[in-house]
Amino acid sequence: MRLPPRPQERIDRSRELTFFFEGEPRHGFPGDTVGSALFASGRRVFSRSFKYHRPRGLLCCSGQCPNCLMQVDGVPNVRVCTMPLREGARVRGQNVLGSLDRDVMSVVDKIGGPFTPVGFYYRTMIRPRRAWPLYERFLRNVAGLGKIDRGAGRTRRFDTEHRRVEVLVIGGGRAGIEAARAAAARGEQVVLVDEGLGPGERAAGGSFEVIAPARALGIYEGGLVPVDAGQVLIRFRARRIVVATGAIEQPLVFPGNDLVGVMLPGAVRRLTDEWSLRPGSRAVVIGADERALSVVAELRSAGTEIARVVDLRAESPRRIAAEGKKGRLASVLVDGEGLDCDLLVMSGGRQPAYSLLAQAGARIEYDAGRGVFVPIELPASVEAVGAVAGELPSGATPAATYEGGGKARGKCFVCVCEDVTTKDVRRAIAEGFDSIELAKRYTTVTMGPCQGRLCQLPSVRLYARENGTDEAAIGRTTARPPWAPVSLGLLAGRGHEPARRTSIHERHVQLGARMMWTGAWRRVHSYGDPAGEVRAVHEAVGAIDVSTLGKILVSGPDAAAFLERLYPNRFGDLRPGRIRYSVLGTDAGRIMDDGTIARLDDDRFYVTTTSTGADVVSEWLEWWNAVWGMGVEVVNLTGALAAVNVAGPRARELLGRLTDLDVSNESFSYLDAKQAHVAGVPCLLLRIGFVGELGYELHCSSPYGEYLWSTLLERGADLGLRPFGLEAQRVLRLEKQHILVGQDTDSESNALEAGMPWVVKFDKDEFVGKWALEHVRERGLRERLVGFEMTGWTVPPEGGQIVVDGRPAGRVTSARWSGELRRAIGLAWVPAALAEEDAELAIRVDGRLEQARVRLRPFLDPDGERLRS
Amino acid sequence: MSELEFLSTDRTRTGGGFEPVFRSPLADALAAAGPDVRDLSALGKVEVRGDVEGFDGLASAERIPLTPGRTLFLCAPEETARLREALADPSRTVVDVTGALAGLELRGERLLRRLTDLDLDGLPAVGAVARVTTIVLRTGEEFRLFFPQEYARSMAEVVLDAAAGL
Amino acid sequence: MSFLIPCPNCGSRDVNEFAYGGEIAVRPEARPNVRELGSYLYFRRNVAGVQREWWFHRLGCEAWFQAERDTRTNEVLLTERPRASRDEAPPGPEAPALPDTPAV
Ligand code: FES
Ligand SMILES: [Zn+2]
Repeated sequence: MRLPPRPQERIDRSRELTFFFEGEPRHGFPGDTVGSALFASGRRVFSRSFKYHRPRGLLCCSGQCPNCLMQVDGVPNVRVCTMPLREGARVRGQNVLGSLDRDVMSVVDKIGGPFTPVGFYYRTMIRPRRAWPLYERFLRNVAGLGKIDRGAGRTRRFDTEHRRVEVLVIGGGRAGIEAARAAAARGEQVVLVDEGLGPGERAAGGSFEVIAPARALGIYEGGLVPVDAGQVLIRFRARRIVVATGAIEQPLVFPGNDLVGVMLPGAVRRLTDEWSLRPGSRAVVIGADERALSVVAELRSAGTEIARVVDLRAESPRRIAAEGKKGRLASVLVDGEGLDCDLLVMSGGRQPAYSLLAQAGARIEYDAGRGVFVPIELPASVEAVGAVAGELPSGATPAATYEGGGKARGKCFVCVCEDVTTKDVRRAIAEGFDSIELAKRYTTVTMGPCQGRLCQLPSVRLYARENGTDEAAIGRTTARPPWAPVSLGLLAGRGHEPARRTSIHERHVQLGARMMWTGAWRRVHSYGDPAGEVRAVHEAVGAIDVSTLGKILVSGPDAAAFLERLYPNRFGDLRPGRIRYSVLGTDAGRIMDDGTIARLDDDRFYVTTTSTGADVVSEWLEWWNAVWGMGVEVVNLTGALAAVNVAGPRARELLGRLTDLDVSNESFSYLDAKQAHVAGVPCLLLRIGFVGELGYELHCSSPYGEYLWSTLLERGADLGLRPFGLEAQRVLRLEKQHILVGQDTDSESNALEAGMPWVVKFDKDEFVGKWALEHVRERGLRERLVGFEMTGWTVPPEGGQIVVDGRPAGRVTSARWSGELRRAIGLAWVPAALAEEDAELAIRVDGRLEQARVRLRPFLDPDGERLRS
Repeated sequence: MSELEFLSTDRTRTGGGFEPVFRSPLADALAAAGPDVRDLSALGKVEVRGDVEGFDGLASAERIPLTPGRTLFLCAPEETARLREALADPSRTVVDVTGALAGLELRGERLLRRLTDLDLDGLPAVGAVARVTTIVLRTGEEFRLFFPQEYARSMAEVVLDAAAGL
Repeated sequence: MSFLIPCPNCGSRDVNEFAYGGEIAVRPEARPNVRELGSYLYFRRNVAGVQREWWFHRLGCEAWFQAERDTRTNEVLLTERPRASRDEAPPGPEAPALPDTPAV
C-alpha cells in the first residue's frame, strides 16, 4: 500500500517490476529496494534471529543492522533494505526451518535451547570429545546466517581494479559532498564513494567522480582503501582521505526492543520519504535528539497517528518496555502507561561512525558530555568531516538500560546480530570477563554483521554501569577491517596464479606428458612410462627439457674473484671452456643450492642453479654484489634460454648429426663448455652428467627451444631416442647418488656432512660459510648423507625412519626402485658412525623394520667411466 | 668468444637440412585474441649494464632506463645486431634479451587498472602486472608490456580474461 | 601490510613488491669464534624504533637497497642504494647478551 505521490519519493510509478518472494510473485517500482517493495507488499517479518529465531523486521532500513538479511538470486546475507530491486529477482528468507512467519526453531525462544546462556557450548559441548562433530553439525544447522551452496563454482564474476586518487571522500552526505566540492574547486582530483544510491543526485554539478553504491572496507597503511563496488573491488591509493561516514542512530535497550515494529528514526524517514510507505498506523516516538523527534512530522504527513512522544531531553522515564503479539509490536509501556501501537520509533542519540578513522590510526575517546565516542588526533593525510568528526546536535544521554518492571519481562537485547541480552552481559561480567575485549570474545557482542554499529555503544554503557565505572574507563574494542560485510568472492577476485612454462611446453602436452608443478613451473613428470624412459637413457639416448634450470651470467673484471669468494669450490683457476660443480652455502655453512659453473672467457661465467633455486640464488648473488661492491654484473637468464639435456650412450652420435662441432671425446671432453650451432641454432653446450650417462646440455635462446627439441626427437628417432621426465631423472641421478638440494638436504645440511668435502676448499682465504664449516670440521661430523640399498624388495617411503637401538636416528630422503640394478636404492641421513660401506641400517616401513646396507659410492658406474666415455 | 651468440635470436643458420623457426612465446596464447592485443615478442631487446649516457649509436632504438646502471633498448628485429654492435664497449655488459622477454601491446587504461597498481601516469616503469615483473610503456591509450617469456601464456590468460570482464 | 616503500630506482611502491632482507648486520672481518659467529648469524637487535635494513625490489627494478624504517609505525624514513664498500658500512649492533647457543 503506497501513499499518494510524495515530493521526494524515489520510485517511478509509471513502470512496475515483478519479483518473487519464496516463489510467489510480488511487485514494486523502479527506485524501490527489495526491502521497500516487500514492505509495500505487506511483509513485516524480514528475518529470524541468530539464536532464538525470533521474528525481526526493518530496524534501520539503511544497511546497518542484521534484520533484513535474505537470500537474493542465490546470494546469501543480502541486506534487502538497500538492495536495488531488479526485475525477476528471486528472494528467500534465511536461517529458518519452515518459513519466516512460522519458523519451527522459534521454540528455542520459548523453552530455551542449546545456546540460551552465552558461552554455553564452550562449557558443555566439549564433552565427550568424540561427539563434537555431531554437536558441530547441529550447531551449524540451527545457528548462523544464510546457506552457501557447497557445490557452487565461480558463478559470478568479480574483478579487482587499482586506482590512484588525490582525494578520496568516503560518505556522500552533506559534509562529504561539501568536502568533495571544496577539494575539486582547489583543482584536486576527487573521488567520492557512498553506500547508498542517493549521492549521485546530491553531488550533481560537482566536478568530481561519484561511485555508488560502494562501500569502503577499511583504511590500510599507505592510504590504501579497498572499496566494494559490487562486482569490482577497487583498491584506491589516496593521497588524502576524507572520512564523512556520518553518525549512526543508536537503539535503546529495553525489554522487547527487538520486536517487529520497533524502528530507528532513519528507517521511518526513508520508508515515508523515499518509497511513500506508511511505517505504521499508530506510533510511539522516543528520542534523545532533535533529529529523532522530527520524525513525528513525517509520520503525521504519512497518516500515522502519534500515541505519545517521549523527549528524553525533557523527561527521564525509568521504565520502558515493548510488548508484542506473535513477535509483532502491540503496545508500549512507558513508566507504567500502556500505549497500544504498531510502531515504536526509538533513538538513543547518534554515535559517530568512527571505525574507518580508528583503523587509520585516529585516537578515539569517550566524550562524557555528549555520551558518545569521538575521534581525536587524526593521522596526517586523513580528515574527518561532519557528524563523524563529532559535529552533532546536542542531545540527551539515555540510560544504559530501561527495566520493564512488573509483568513486562521480555528479552532485552544489547546486540541483535548475535542475540545477546543484558542478562548474558551481566553473566559474563559475573564470570569475570571484565575487560571489554575479553567480554566481546566471550559474548560475541559487536562480532555480528553490524560490526558494532548498533551494539558497541549500548554494550559499553552497560559494562560501565555493571562494573560501577564510566564509559571512558571501559573504552572500546579495536576497529578492524572489513568495516562493511564483503563477499569472499570479491576478495578472491579472478584467482589467477602465475605459472611458468618452458618454450617447449606445448610439445610435451602433444606427447601426452603428465605435467606437475615444481615451484611456479609446469614440468613433465613423465611421458607415461618412467621405467622405459630410464632404460632409453641407459641403453640409447634420452632428452629432457631442463629449461627451468636457473641460469645466471656473472660478468665483469671481478667475476672470478666474486665467485671464488661466494662459493666453497675454487673458480679462480677454472680455464675458459671448462665446467666445475659446487654447492652454494650460507655463512651458517648450510647448503642453499647447487649447480655447475662454466667459464665462458676471462670475465664471464655461466652459473646454473636448481630449478626452484634460480630466483633465490640470483637475489643472493645480487645481494653479495651489493655488499661487496665488486665490479660484477649479475644477469638472470633463466627464462631467456631453453635447455635440453641429451643423455645416453648414443648422445654423441645424435649430436654429431646436428652440428659441425668436433664432438669426439678428445676435443669435447667431460666438463667442457662450447658454443656452436646445433641444428642451425646457436647453443651453449655443456658436457655434464647429472643422470650419469654421456650427456650434453644444450642451451639456446628460448624462441628456438621448441624447434631444437622437435629436431632432436626427429633426428634421434632411429637411435632409439625417447623424451624423459622428472621421474626418470630422479631414478637416474639416484643411481649415481647425485643429491637433489631441498630433497636430500634441508636448511640444516652442510656440504661436509652431505658427503661432499671435495667441494670445500678450506685453503682459500675466504668464502661464504668458511668459518662455520671450519667449526663443523673441528667439532666433527655428527650425521652423514649416505646411499643405501635394500636387502629385500621394499622401497622405503621418503621421510622413513632410520632406527638404531629402537630409536629414530635418521631418515630416508630419497628412495626408488632401480630397474637397471634390480634393487631398491636410496639416500639417507644416518649417524656418522654408520657412514661406512656395508654398515647395516634398519628402516621403518609400515611399522616393520627392513634391512638395508650403506653404499658410499655411486650404485652405477662408480668410477664415472660412462660419463667420461 | 666475445659475443654470446646463444643469447641472440638473429644468429641462426639455415642449411644442411635445418631451418630454425622462431616461435613467439605468445603464439598459442593469443591465437584467439582480438585485434586490440598485439604480440610484440619479436621486437629486438637489448639490456645494457653500465653507462649509456652519451650513447647515440642507433637513433631509431627506444631507450628505457630501468635503474641508473641498467637500460633496456628496443628496436626493430632486423636492427638488433646493429644495436648490439653499437653498444659493445668494454665498460658495458650487453645482453640480448630478445628471447627473454615476451611483448604484448594492448589498449585502454581501464584494462591496465585491472592488471596493475602501477601509476599509469608515471610510465615507463617496472612493476607487477598480473603478479609478474613487467616493464610497462605507454603511448596515449596504447600500452606495451614486456615480461619474462615463461609467463607468456599465464599473462595472456589474465589479460584476455580481464578484457572480457570490461 | 600495505605500507609504501620509496624504492630509490622506482619510486613509491606497495611493500608487497619487495622482499625483506633483514636488518643490516656487520659481517666479522676475521674468523669469529663460535660465540661471535652465532651472534652474527642469529642475533638481531630487533629494535622498537628506527632500524636500517635491506630490501629487494622483486616485482620492480630487481635491485637491493637499504632503508631506514620505524618498526613501530612502518614509516620508511629514507631509502638509498647500497653503500659500495665495507668501510662505509654503518656501525654494528651492540653485542647482545648471548646464551650459549651453538652456531653450527
Ligand atoms: S533493516 Fe536492512 S540493514 Fe537494517
Ligand atoms: Zn625498484
